[in-house]
Amino acid sequence: MLSVAGLEAGYRGSRVLNGLDLEVAEGTVAALLGRNGMGKTTLMRALMGLVTVSAGRIVFRGRDTAGLRPYTIAKLGIAYVPQGREIFADFTVEENLRLGLVGRPGGARRVPAAAYRHFPVLAERRGQRAGTLSGGEQQQLAIARALVGQPRLLLLDEPSEGIQPSIVLQIAASLKQIAAEEGLTVLLVEQNVEMVLSLAADCAFIENGRVAARHAAAELRGDAAILHRYLAV
Amino acid sequence: MEQLFILTLDASNFILAIILVAMGLVIIFGLMNVINMAHGELFLLGAYTVVMVERLGGSYWLGLVLAPLAVGLVGLIVEELVVRHVYHRFLDTILATWGLSIAIKQAVVVAFGPASHTVSSPIAASIEIFGAPYPAYRLFIMAVALLVIAVTFWLFFRTAFGLAARGVIANRDMAACLGINTRRLDRATFAYGAALAGLAGAVMAPIMSVDPQMGLGFLIPAFLSILVGGAGHLAGPLLGAAAIGGTDTLAANLWSPVVAQIVVFTMAIVVIRLFPRGLAGRWFGG
Amino acid sequence: MVAGSSLGAFAMTSRAPSRLLLVNLAVWGALALAPLGLGAWQVGQLAQYFTYGLFAMSLALIWGHCGLLCFGQAVFFGIGGYAMSLVTLGMVPGLEAAPSSYLGVLCAVLLPAGFANLLGRFLFYGKGLQGAYFAIVTLAIAVVAERLAINWAYIGGLNGLMNVPPMNLGLLGGGTEIWDSVPVYYLTLALVFAVYLLLEALTRSRYGIVLRAIRDNQDRTGYFGYDTAGYKLTAFTLGAGVAGLAGALFVTQFNFASPPLIGFTLSTEVLIWVALGGRTLPLAAFLGAILVRSVENVLSETLGTYWLLALGLLFVLSVVLFPRGLIGEIIHRLTAPRRGVVGRNAKPP
Repeated sequence: MLSVAGLEAGYRGSRVLNGLDLEVAEGTVAALLGRNGMGKTTLMRALMGLVTVSAGRIVFRGRDTAGLRPYTIAKLGIAYVPQGREIFADFTVEENLRLGLVGRPGGARRVPAAAYRHFPVLAERRGQRAGTLSGGEQQQLAIARALVGQPRLLLLDEPSEGIQPSIVLQIAASLKQIAAEEGLTVLLVEQNVEMVLSLAADCAFIENGRVAARHAAAELRGDAAILHRYLAV
Repeated sequence: MEQLFILTLDASNFILAIILVAMGLVIIFGLMNVINMAHGELFLLGAYTVVMVERLGGSYWLGLVLAPLAVGLVGLIVEELVVRHVYHRFLDTILATWGLSIAIKQAVVVAFGPASHTVSSPIAASIEIFGAPYPAYRLFIMAVALLVIAVTFWLFFRTAFGLAARGVIANRDMAACLGINTRRLDRATFAYGAALAGLAGAVMAPIMSVDPQMGLGFLIPAFLSILVGGAGHLAGPLLGAAAIGGTDTLAANLWSPVVAQIVVFTMAIVVIRLFPRGLAGRWFGG
Repeated sequence: MVAGSSLGAFAMTSRAPSRLLLVNLAVWGALALAPLGLGAWQVGQLAQYFTYGLFAMSLALIWGHCGLLCFGQAVFFGIGGYAMSLVTLGMVPGLEAAPSSYLGVLCAVLLPAGFANLLGRFLFYGKGLQGAYFAIVTLAIAVVAERLAINWAYIGGLNGLMNVPPMNLGLLGGGTEIWDSVPVYYLTLALVFAVYLLLEALTRSRYGIVLRAIRDNQDRTGYFGYDTAGYKLTAFTLGAGVAGLAGALFVTQFNFASPPLIGFTLSTEVLIWVALGGRTLPLAAFLGAILVRSVENVLSETLGTYWLLALGLLFVLSVVLFPRGLIGEIIHRLTAPRRGVVGRNAKPP
């Protein structure tokens, strides 16, 4: 479904990704782990077209997306929940969800009731300004906003950041359910190992802008040394 | 009493005219972060569209309809050829559009000469207000301005286009990641802003001397209105224009137009300095 | 770009100066020798352009190095011009007996600098005005200044001040007047060159590096502990002083001061010269003014109204394609080491 080969990307003057290779199979949840500054967020932004790719290929469902604009990539079926959520704080919850729809073919004017199914709290707060929601609610909104457009691939960057643990587990459970029900493919960047292990089948460890190792989640449960090697500071 | 009423009408007239120009400016600024210094010349092109249509034997009303279309098209071309190449270099947008304004103004001089033209008022009648005659055309201008304000607010707060545009204003990258075609939106917004300027030029042509310098006279008050009112809010120019236009009319009546301009500009600078987010930013937050 | 990266980049330019020095020698040498090959009228013309060039350098300092896009730089030029005129015409109460050129120049530098300082204190401190806000506010100030000049009878109103005397070597006036084009030329060149050296030294110093760091990212430079408003204020003040000096030289050569000198149109013209020349190098800005003026002199005859049209389009083109300016781009290509250096002549962001 998603195949990244030899990807190089970065910001003015500094390259962050140095020939990164990654495969994500259709219908799976893959997780990306690594210390800060290793290039996880840059990879997400490169996949989304927000960072210029200087070399390598990104193939999504048979189409090379490197160099395409973010909205074209989004229309191909990739949705993005960025680090820090980036919800539209001055807009209502419903408007945020509608913004997830307007760019889609047809540009549905109304938010389907199904959008609220996994996140009932959003239905209650539909008319409220998104900026007034709690961190956990904002995260759910960001995920729901990404999902209303019915993407094939969901990019999730640090969904647990700054959210209280009980809500993290709740979000993880919802995500698991959604992925299973809809056959959604997910690429997850996450520091919270518990969340990763509960969701992902497959984990890639990123170091200095390339994938240093891959392990099945099952392996990691039994072997703390691997996690230690790639994540300890 | 009558005098006060006429004064209020004059002030409203000026305020609404500024709003017509400022509305397009604030939309372009909000969405693309582009200070369009050529906006005054788009206004100018609107007025000259009417001059040209009348020269070719068309009526004023035909000119009024064609002006926003023609100037909107100019806006599209300008956006494609110039603005999109510099919109990430903020200060350069000011320079590039300033260069454009010189070029457009001079192109008008080449085509129509430096002298001023007159467009006769299509509605010659006067309406008696408290026994004093008031030109009906001025009331028409006010009606057009109110209509434009209403349509713009409707467009931005009630339609899918407006939602997308406001999304881009709030967070361009995120909006693009949701599949909103920011390129198309930029183009459409710039063309719409240009069309509004063209419409304003056509509407104001009968009560102004139509000459190549007419754009600047509106550009600066429009800019100051936006900054005084608050550039981050569609209501900004309404408040700002009310403050600028109201003070100007009042001061011009009390003293002279020269004193009025000096007073208004100085006042505006002080307000901008004290409330960088403008009156709207101060009152409405956000 | 952070203060740190600008600092690093500055160190990298140390290989380049030899070539930059050659460019400088060529330009100033040619200007020093120019009167040998030119007629008296052309020499006088070139001396007049020097005053525009000096004016352009003042804008390059605050815009190119400090990021202050000023649409009202002519206000300072005009104040300088009027101050010089009033003093040398003996119109200043109490100083009627001493129409000294020295005193005139002093006033022409200090008055605009003082005004800029007050204005800067109002605009930069506290929340402070940046970017477009600063541009539009200065634009409004230029319009107001021109209006005031037109309506102020003491300084001649719409007609301005006529018969401004040329530079006078006498300490209190009444000495030798410098009329001839060649002495005027060399006097102007010497003053311009002195200011140029001062600006070059300044922009190469630590102070200049901080200015460019503010231009590139004011907030981050502030986090490093620099008083950004203070730096901007000194640059703005200094720029105004230089513009005032240019105005003073201008009125002694043209022998009049009138409202357009202080207004909006000249303010935007100087922006064009600097943008076309090059905003980050004082030399490029200086040559830009001379170039545009010279070309205008030749082409406005033949092209007529098309000249301004062409200039406007060229200006747009240059802003879009050559942010370093046309001359700045040439100097950059001549002097930059092979790898693009992030230094004084870096592409403005």
